[in-house]
Amino acid sequence: MPLINLPAFAADLLADFERLGTLRVDTPVIQPAEPFLDMAGEDLRRRIFMTESETGKSLCLRPEFTIPVCLRHIETATGTPQRYSYLGEIFRQRREGANEFYQAGIEDLGETDVAGADARAISDAIEILTARLPGSRLKVTLGDQSVFEAVVAACGLPAGWQKRLIHAFGNSAQIDTLLTRLSSPQPVTGLSAEIEALLASGDDATLIAHLDETMQETGYSTNASRSPKEIAARLKEKRALEKTALDGRTLGLLREFLSLSIPLADAPAALFAFAKKSGLTLDGALSHFDARVAALGNAGVDPALLTYRAAFGRPLDYYTGLVFEIVIDGSSAVLAGGGRFDRLMTLLGARTRIPAVGFALWLDRIEQALAQHEGEATR
Amino acid sequence: MTITIALPSKGRMKDDASAIFEKAGMKIVAVGNERSYRGRVEGLDDVEIAFLSASEISREIGNGSIDFGVTGEDLIREGLSEADARVEFCARLGFGHADVVVAVPEIWLDVDTMADLGDVAADFRARHGRRLAIATKYWRLTQQFFSAQHGIQLYRIVESLGATEGAPASGSADIIVDITSTGSTLKANHLKILSDGIMLKSEACLVRARKAEHEGDPLVAKITEAVRGALG
Repeated sequence: MPLINLPAFAADLLADFERLGTLRVDTPVIQPAEPFLDMAGEDLRRRIFMTESETGKSLCLRPEFTIPVCLRHIETATGTPQRYSYLGEIFRQRREGANEFYQAGIEDLGETDVAGADARAISDAIEILTARLPGSRLKVTLGDQSVFEAVVAACGLPAGWQKRLIHAFGNSAQIDTLLTRLSSPQPVTGLSAEIEALLASGDDATLIAHLDETMQETGYSTNASRSPKEIAARLKEKRALEKTALDGRTLGLLREFLSLSIPLADAPAALFAFAKKSGLTLDGALSHFDARVAALGNAGVDPALLTYRAAFGRPLDYYTGLVFEIVIDGSSAVLAGGGRFDRLMTLLGARTRIPAVGFALWLDRIEQALAQHEGEATR
Repeated sequence: MTITIALPSKGRMKDDASAIFEKAGMKIVAVGNERSYRGRVEGLDDVEIAFLSASEISREIGNGSIDFGVTGEDLIREGLSEADARVEFCARLGFGHADVVVAVPEIWLDVDTMADLGDVAADFRARHGRRLAIATKYWRLTQQFFSAQHGIQLYRIVESLGATEGAPASGSADIIVDITSTGSTLKANHLKILSDGIMLKSEACLVRARKAEHEGDPLVAKITEAVRGALG
């Protein structure tokens, strides 16, 4: 069925994708809803269009392409590395704007040269947008979850705290709340004398056996949900940390790091200086970071377009490293967004770990930017 | 203009609502027999009473087919998106008290707060191969509370239309979001409410659909004031 509502530049985009050596794939508009809700969380439910099959299976109109493209890759057992491109309609409930609109993008699966693949994703996105919007000055913001992970690890924070902070990364309100909470001790209260005694004795086996017994007595399965062992371990961890609070110096370091927003070209030196001044060992993460900056240079990306913002991330557990988004300088409309999601493929059922990076282009916003640009040009 | 007020059609909510209206000088009489689903107010010819189920009242007030309703705040906030823009909570009526709460198994000794729950949810998939499952009939309230207020994204809602409190023990969910007035059902099922897990302190409310034609209508103002006055 020929679509007559395609953006005028769709054919040019497809030509770009072909020239970039990607394999164009299509995925059905009607998708199983489970993988989207599982990956992105329940909050997505009110933003997608859901329906049910006759047999009661939850279905939805394709809300994005990354998950369907990755699932297709797994199902067809295609080898890696493989670069896919797509262009098609997606469907989302939005307060403003249409509920169905076009998205296009590239998913790069299985490329083990991480820095090179990251740089290629960014440079492809810039190249495509520049070709559509000649004369517009683009602005690219980059973030890197692995640098934040390294900072948190180097601060020597307890493992549980590290996990919490990493989980909240990208949501600045959440990070703020968390840092404030960690700054005061969190006592563990309300335990019965029996549990207190078991905890104090350090006899893990008896504590676990006690929890196990209580669960069985109260009709709870010991393996359907959290196990006695898991509960005991976390309880012990909480008890061990109840008198600990994030010290002022570490808090200051974390806040200082999160406030970094600098030209990417300056970021390697700035991060090195931060690590040196604070006495944190970030070598591994910084060398990956530097390799990406170098790869961007090799790819010929104009460094003046690139900004690094340390707090920029996406609070979803399958994003692992790079995130980026592209706007026209002075506008807030995101024209392209992407990132590295090395955990997604295994979460979706791939047997082996497949590194992945990709980006999506918002064609309706590109059209609007184009119309505005042309409007200004004729005036 | 005729004003339609919807009242609960049965049970204590019906009796309590009728009592407040009577105290407010608006005695309600059934049209036809006692079991009728229509009524009127003595001395107010322009008011119609419709007896509906509490959840129907929430829906009808949302689409503006009635002017006033008496129903639980929980049903309004669960049933309508942007509830405050669409309805006015005119008065809290002091009956039908119930809290919408997050409750976890008592044996989760390490989980007292939403922050604890966030930790558990973050790890759940890695440990159990699935997301943390919440049994509830309160989809909207749960999403708002978990996602918007507490930044917890990684969980799945398992729809539960009855006996929600049994879901954790039966293994169909890990935790629940449910309504409770005394907490005794939760206790009987070995569940505890998180210290910051009270999502909504609900009670029966007089609510008004925000309609343009209500502006300056003396009858609308009179009903609101009379009910407020009766609460003393």
